[in-house]
Amino acid sequence: MTITITAFEKSPDGGKGLARDTRVRWALEEAGLPYQVRLVSFRAMKEPAHLARHPFGQIPTYEEGNLVLFETGAIVLHVAQHHAGLLPDDADARARAIAWMFAAVNTVEPPILDFMTARLFEADKPWAEARLPLVADRVRDRLKQLSARLGRADWLDGGFSAGDLMMASVLLRLRASGILDEFPNLAAYVARGEARPAYKRAFAAQLAVNAG
Amino acid sequence: MITISAFRWVPDLARGHVRDLRVRWALEEAGLPYRTRLLEQGDQDKDDYRALQPFGQVPIFEEGGLTLFETGAIVQHIGERSEALLPKEPGARARAIQWMFAALNSVEPFVMNVALIDLFYTNEEWAKLRRPGAVAFVERRLGAVSKSLGEKLYLDGDRFTAGDLMMSSVLRIFHYTDIVKKDARLAAYAERCMARPAFKRALDAQLGDFRDAA
Repeated sequence: MTITITAFEKSPDGGKGLARDTRVRWALEEAGLPYQVRLVSFRAMKEPAHLARHPFGQIPTYEEGNLVLFETGAIVLHVAQHHAGLLPDDADARARAIAWMFAAVNTVEPPILDFMTARLFEADKPWAEARLPLVADRVRDRLKQLSARLGRADWLDGGFSAGDLMMASVLLRLRASGILDEFPNLAAYVARGEARPAYKRAFAAQLAVNAG
Repeated sequence: MITISAFRWVPDLARGHVRDLRVRWALEEAGLPYRTRLLEQGDQDKDDYRALQPFGQVPIFEEGGLTLFETGAIVQHIGERSEALLPKEPGARARAIQWMFAALNSVEPFVMNVALIDLFYTNEEWAKLRRPGAVAFVERRLGAVSKSLGEKLYLDGDRFTAGDLMMSSVLRIFHYTDIVKKDARLAAYAERCMARPAFKRALDAQLGDFRDAA
């Protein structure tokens, strides 16, 4: 059955791979699944046809036969649970890999997203100067904990999994700020993710849409 | 036997709102007995606990040789074992999981943005200036959830799932304000979820552990 995802017609990041469709593309590439992409404009994202697929008016969405899903984490988990390549076979190891997916989206990403918003969209607001250090410290606290856990390992729990896919994607957002490089083992971890052939294909695919 | 971690003591305002409540609720829905391992304040930062929970949070879930952290993952794991939380039909199951992620990644962070201001930074000048924008943002998200709910009883139709458990738990963070309450449809939905006997048992159990420890 054909898989169709949606992505920005023109990504606000100009093709740096930070739009969330990259995470889904990466998962599909790891699983070796072909997919089609329907590009949506900012206007179309807020219109009824797209809102019916995605209540928050965002990308990506995922369509496969009658199944329509939104929410990147849910899409990646759906792909991972139904195809080889993203989750270990052993039941306990599988549960732990899924735990890292949830940790990425609910424990690590919220302060990072908050930090990005404060830095990029609220920098000129009257409260920005007083608040930004608080937000940056919350990010550093989390990264310190994550860095301690990763230690010298290549991946968070044994071999590469959907948990690493999601965590590396979340951390990638921080690179431009310099905070990621304060934690060399995390920076190397993200680089290992980016070096995966599946990531490279996913990145190239989104770049082809957004370049120029 | 399943063991989950929880705190022996938290400030009054956090009682009934600590994250182990969500896991207790899931276990009650699934009909799985569990016991609690109560942490003293400070235990969460010790090396032996951090080895199990890298972020020093509660709860963790232990059973046999498996230790899991992260509330969403634990509820997902319990759901894999119980149709009370995740329906068997693959499409419905994927959609239930979708709502769990939506609660945790698209709604909760913005609810917490407002809640942190209200609960911890009330008197800060930046907080006063920032609050209206944070409220407007979360209201748009909640409005989208409400619209998606429509006339349905639960987010994906007539039956309660782990997605509803997580979304209503997130909505409950706003118990102290009218942000959810003023949307009658969303408020009724949250009430419907919280009226479930399994939720009541979970809440009583969390509050009971604090009482017993006092």
